[in-house]
Amino acid sequence: MKTFKTWDPVIRIFHWSLVGAFTANALILDDDGKAHQWVGYAVVALVLLRLLWGVIGPHTARFASFTPQVSEVFEQMSDMATRRKRAHLGHSPLGALMIFNLLAAMLVIGLSGYMMTTNMFFGVEWVEELHEVVVFWAEISIVAHVAAVVLESRRTGVNLPRAMVTGVKSVPDDLNLVK
Amino acid sequence: MTGTASKKPGALLVLILVQAFCAVFFLWDVMQEAGPLRVLALRDFHVAAEAVSALCLLAAVLFEIRYLMTLLRRKAHLERQISLAAGAFHDVILDHFERWNLTPAEQDVASFTIKGLSIAEIAALRGTAEGTVKSHLNGIYRKAGVAGRGALLSLLIDGLFQLPEGATTLIPLQKRA
Repeated sequence: MKTFKTWDPVIRIFHWSLVGAFTANALILDDDGKAHQWVGYAVVALVLLRLLWGVIGPHTARFASFTPQVSEVFEQMSDMATRRKRAHLGHSPLGALMIFNLLAAMLVIGLSGYMMTTNMFFGVEWVEELHEVVVFWAEISIVAHVAAVVLESRRTGVNLPRAMVTGVKSVPDDLNLVK
Repeated sequence: MTGTASKKPGALLVLILVQAFCAVFFLWDVMQEAGPLRVLALRDFHVAAEAVSALCLLAAVLFEIRYLMTLLRRKAHLERQISLAAGAFHDVILDHFERWNLTPAEQDVASFTIKGLSIAEIAALRGTAEGTVKSHLNGIYRKAGVAGRGALLSLLIDGLFQLPEGATTLIPLQKRA
């Protein structure tokens, strides 16, 4: 086993705070309550912090380091199709696409949620529908994200959930690395 | 499954993403219309029809993902295809892989083996231990009913000479030429 420091503390705290906040708002808190709003603002603040960190943070946190080329996306999918094993030290190409998807979804949810509290958009139907449909899209995306993490951990032999807790990726010795 | 040059995995991937978003939207809409009635709302024709449509769309997405994976597997195994003969041989090989029910990993290992790579080379290319490759090879030989690499190759080459069914693979080849 070789170990690589992959995720800095900001990334990990962001990830698990977002997990907690989204779960609270989607499944636990009353949609019409004050707490729902405050947790929503916290989610937006977290995402904005992540966007800033994606520009000034360390290498694996930077958008420039993990925005994938189309060819890289298909290389990863070919590896999956043939069950070949290669590890990515940062975000994998498909993982990166999921991150952009989730970050964008969180911003749309936060913005439409905020609009529902303003006089101008209070009770406007399309705003409410947008909020709800993107929440549903985010929930489905999260299920896909978790499933992909489990499947990719099994395919490559790298324990990805543990890396997001400890910040360290443990890579089996015979595994090839991408880049 | 014949003819690779014209297949565009990029377009297929975009289609999958767009259809996935549509499927999620319609599923959400069905749930909205069902409201507190939940499953009982399916007695309403409109809700039932929309639910069935959404599920069909979802099934199509899953089918497309499967097909994309097959396409990528084929592309990966045919990367350095130069001649029509190589393409014809590859069709015969794929036919056999399918008949033997090889798993995707076994197909990959078998493909490398046929190209003459050693166990160590295959292990390095696939990022696995040599023992894993050996167990894949055992599975391949068992499913094909042969004793080893030589017999496997003979079986495949033999398939090239049996053209009654193989003729169907030759027609698209002529079109391509």
